[in-house]
Amino acid sequence: MKDVIKKEVVFNHAIDQVWNAITKAEEISTWFIPADFKAEKGYKYLFTSPPNEKGCTTIGGEILEANPYLLIYTWIVGDTETETTVKWELESTSEGTKLTLEHSGISNYAGETAVAMFESFNGGWDNCINGLTSYLKEEVNAG
Amino acid sequence: MQDKITRLFKAIADPTRRDIFHALVIATSALSITQISNQFEMTRQGITKHIKTLEEAGLVYIKSEGRERFCNANPKELQEVNKWLKFYEQFWDDKLGSLGDYLNNKV
Repeated sequence: MKDVIKKEVVFNHAIDQVWNAITKAEEISTWFIPADFKAEKGYKYLFTSPPNEKGCTTIGGEILEANPYLLIYTWIVGDTETETTVKWELESTSEGTKLTLEHSGISNYAGETAVAMFESFNGGWDNCINGLTSYLKEEVNAG
Repeated sequence: MQDKITRLFKAIADPTRRDIFHALVIATSALSITQISNQFEMTRQGITKHIKTLEEAGLVYIKSEGRERFCNANPKELQEVNKWLKFYEQFWDDKLGSLGDYLNNKV
């Protein structure tokens, strides 16, 4: 049992391409969640689900660190006060770029909130993800 | 509630406590402190301390019968945190998959 989620992925792309994808609002909005985002320390960002989808919640927080190639921000879901932290770290490798993602502080989710939030996610997030998936498909087809 | 989760994580942070908890989960009936001590080759005192931490986290119920105390696992408590971890595991896998697709298609 742990309270940190860690993911490592190697992308066959230059480090700056990956860095732009995770720090530029228009790029984040394409593959992640529509975003009001600036990779500047202290900036209060906001991710909002596509407007045509119901039941989605927002995610907001503050940029704690944004220097190539380290991006850290707090992650607060909806109207809750539970703060977790998301860290993105990039590293150039011979194969391209290694991304290490760490989502820490999952234990900060207080018991009761977890139930309520999970229920709001259950369905809500599916809608978000489905919405995004179809959006991406349309983009690819259109392009 | 915050305290509750903190206690839960403290309880499961220790490998010996995880083993004791696991032994209680797979046991078909309640185990006495004596039985647990024998199984783990630890003193009653050591086991009692671990059991107390597990009890405070709500992971173990203790029932006294005569001079012996019997312990039962209560794995329900862990499901809450597990749900969260599972949710985010899936969430990040999906998102990083999307990021990969995005990078591949963006030429």
